[in-house]
Amino acid sequence: MAGSKAPALRLSGISKSYGKVRALDNLSFDVPEGRFFVLFGPSAVGKTTTLRTIAGLVATDAGRLEINGQDVTTSPIAGRGVSMVFQSFALYPHLTVYENFAYPLKEEGVAREEIDTRVKETAAMLKLSHRLERKPNTLSGGEQQRVALGRSLIRRPKILLLDEPLTNLDAKLRHDMRAELKRLHRQFGMTIVYATPDELEALSMGEEIAVMRDGAVVQRGTPDELYEKPADTYVAGKIGSPHMNIVKATLAADLSSLDTPLGKLLSGRKIHSGNAGEATLVGIRPSDLRPAAAGEAAVPSRVHLIEPLGDVTVVSVEAGGETLRMVLPEQSASGLKPGDTVPITIDLDKIHIFRAASGQVMT
Amino acid sequence: MRLSPDNWKLAILVGLVVSVLAAIALPPHVSFWIVGAMAALVAAAFVVNAYRRKYYGGLLVAPAIAVLFVMNIFPLLWSLGLSFFAYQSNQQSIRFIGLANYTKVLTNDIMAPANWGALVNTAMFVVLTVTAQMIVGFLLAMLFAKQFPLRKYLLILVLTPMMLSVVASGVFFSYYYDPTFGILSYVINAITGGQFILMDSKAGAVTGIVFADAWMWSPFVMLLVLAGLVSVPKYLYEAAAIDRVSKWRQFWTITFPYIRGLMMLALLFRTIEAFKLADLVILLTKGGNDTMTISYHLIRIANEQNKTSEGAAISYLMLFMVIVLTNLYLYIANRRSQGD
Repeated sequence: MAGSKAPALRLSGISKSYGKVRALDNLSFDVPEGRFFVLFGPSAVGKTTTLRTIAGLVATDAGRLEINGQDVTTSPIAGRGVSMVFQSFALYPHLTVYENFAYPLKEEGVAREEIDTRVKETAAMLKLSHRLERKPNTLSGGEQQRVALGRSLIRRPKILLLDEPLTNLDAKLRHDMRAELKRLHRQFGMTIVYATPDELEALSMGEEIAVMRDGAVVQRGTPDELYEKPADTYVAGKIGSPHMNIVKATLAADLSSLDTPLGKLLSGRKIHSGNAGEATLVGIRPSDLRPAAAGEAAVPSRVHLIEPLGDVTVVSVEAGGETLRMVLPEQSASGLKPGDTVPITIDLDKIHIFRAASGQVMT
Repeated sequence: MRLSPDNWKLAILVGLVVSVLAAIALPPHVSFWIVGAMAALVAAAFVVNAYRRKYYGGLLVAPAIAVLFVMNIFPLLWSLGLSFFAYQSNQQSIRFIGLANYTKVLTNDIMAPANWGALVNTAMFVVLTVTAQMIVGFLLAMLFAKQFPLRKYLLILVLTPMMLSVVASGVFFSYYYDPTFGILSYVINAITGGQFILMDSKAGAVTGIVFADAWMWSPFVMLLVLAGLVSVPKYLYEAAAIDRVSKWRQFWTITFPYIRGLMMLALLFRTIEAFKLADLVILLTKGGNDTMTISYHLIRIANEQNKTSEGAAISYLMLFMVIVLTNLYLYIANRRSQGD
C-alpha cells in the first residue's frame, strides 16, 4: 500500500459468466473512501452484476474483491458493511414504513429505544415522518424510493450501493432526488457506488465516473475529464448531449491535417501515433461548431432541422454529405430557418481524433 | 299474439298451463313426457330470446348453471325438504313430521354411544389427517420451491396420488397393509419374526387410514403453498440478505405473509373434505376397530337402511357443523390479519 490508505473498495480482475453470457470481463477498479462513484453505461453492460458482486449476492468466477484492504471475495454478505438500494426498491410489502426501517436494526440486536430514535431521525431526514404507519404499496413512487434509501442509510453503512435508483421515478422527482442524494452523501460522507444508464445523472452526481462496456471499465475519470478527453468513440458517444459529431477522415502525410467530407481540417497538432493516409474519425462537439463570422475559414452548410431547447438551440446542418449538430445560444440561432445556407466554422483546437479501426483516441 | 322470440313470459305461461292440465287429465306415463316437452319449450324460448338480444354471456354460462342446478342445487333443496318428512326410499308412504327427524337424530341417533363415537372419530380424523397433510404438504412445497435436478419429474410423481381415484388408492393401501402378503407386514414380520397386523388395533387402523389420506391429499396442500412460494419476489430475499436478516426471520416476515392466505384455503378445503371421510374407511376397515365416521354412519342409515329422510337430517346437521367450523377459521384468520 506504500503508506497510502487502502481504498474503500477494490475490484481486481473480476469475471462472471451466466452460462455463455459474459457479464463481467476482467473488471478492475477501485473507489477511494467517501467518493461518489458512478458506474455508467447502457443496460446489460454489467453494472448491476458489479454491484451485486460487491454486495455479495453474486459469487464471482475469478478475481478479487477488497473492502478497506480486506479480501472479502468469498466472505458472507453480512460481514461486508455494505448496503444496497435496488432498482425495484425491494420494500417489504407486509411491513409498515416504520417496520421497514427498523428491520435491519432489529436483526443487529439494537435496543428498542435506539431503534425508535433512529427510525424517527431517518424518517425526518427523508420527510417521511407522516408516513411511518403506512404500508409501502400505499405510498407514491418517490416516497417508496425514499423508504428504500432510508432503510439502507439507517444502518450507517460504510459503502452504499445504488442500482439505478431513480429509473422508476418521473422526471421532476428524479431532479429532486439527485439533489437529495448529493446532500445525503455530503452529510454522511459514506462511499457511494451508483449505477446508472442516465448520462445526466452520471455527470451531475458523480465525483468520478467509470464508463462500462461489455463487463469492463472503458474509461474512468471526473465528468470533465470524460467530456474533454474521451478515450474512444464509445465514451465520446455516451458523454455529452447532444452527442459528438463523428466524421470519417483520412490523416494527411503531415500527420496533422485531415481530409474530410467537410474539406481539409488543420488540427494544429501532430498525431505522432498515426500513419500517413490512415483512416480516422474526427469527433466534433456540437458546442464547438458555430456560424462563421465574415472572413473566417468556413464550411458551407444547409440548415435542415432546428430544435429550440429554451436558452440553447440545437441546429442540424448538412455539410459535405454529413449531418452535423451544433448547439447555439438561443439568440444567435433565432435568425435561422430550415433551408438556409450557413457557413460554419469549427473550433479546431477542440476536435478529437480517433483511429477508425479501433475507435481509440490518437495523440 | 304470435310466439315471437321475446315472448318468453308467454312461453312460461303456456308451459305451466299445459303441464298442469296434462298432470291432471292424462295418465302419469303420458303427462311426464308432456311436462318434459314444456320444460324444453320454455328453455328454447329463453335461449332464442337471449340470442336475439345478443346476451351471449348469459347463453355461454347457461349450460353450466343448468348442470349445477340439476346436479347440486336441486338435490340440496330436495333433501332439505325430505328431512322434514317421514320417508323411506323403499316405501311408498310419505308424511310431514316437521322437526321430528332432527330431534330423533339429535337425541337417539347421535347421542347413542356408537354414533357419538363416530362423531368423535370424525373429529379425530379431521385433526390428524389435516395436520398431517398441512405439515407434509408445506414441507414438500418448501422442497419444490428450490431448484434441483429432476425436480420437474419428481413433482409429477408427487402429484400423482392426488389424481388417482380414491378407490384405486384405497385398494392399493389395503394390499399394502394386508397381513398375509402386504409389504408392510412382510417387512416387519421378517425383522421381528412375529406376526404384525396393522389393522388389528384401533391405533393401527387409524394410523393406516390417516397415512393413506395424507398420502393422497398432501400434494394438494403442496400445490397451493407452492403457488404462494413462487409468487414471492426474489429481490425481497436479496434485500433481506443485505439487511443481514436471518433465514428464520426472512421466512416469517417475507415468505409467510405471501402463503398465509393460500394455507388458509388449503386448511379450509381439507377440513371440509376430512369431515366427509368415508371412502377410505370403507375400503380399509369397513368401520371395524372403532374407525366408524359420521359420514360412513350416514351412508349406512340412508343407503343401507333406506332411512332417507333421517339421513337427510343428519346431512344437514353435518353441513351446519362444517359451516360453523369454517366460519370459525375465517373469523380467526381475519382477526389475525387485522391485528397485524
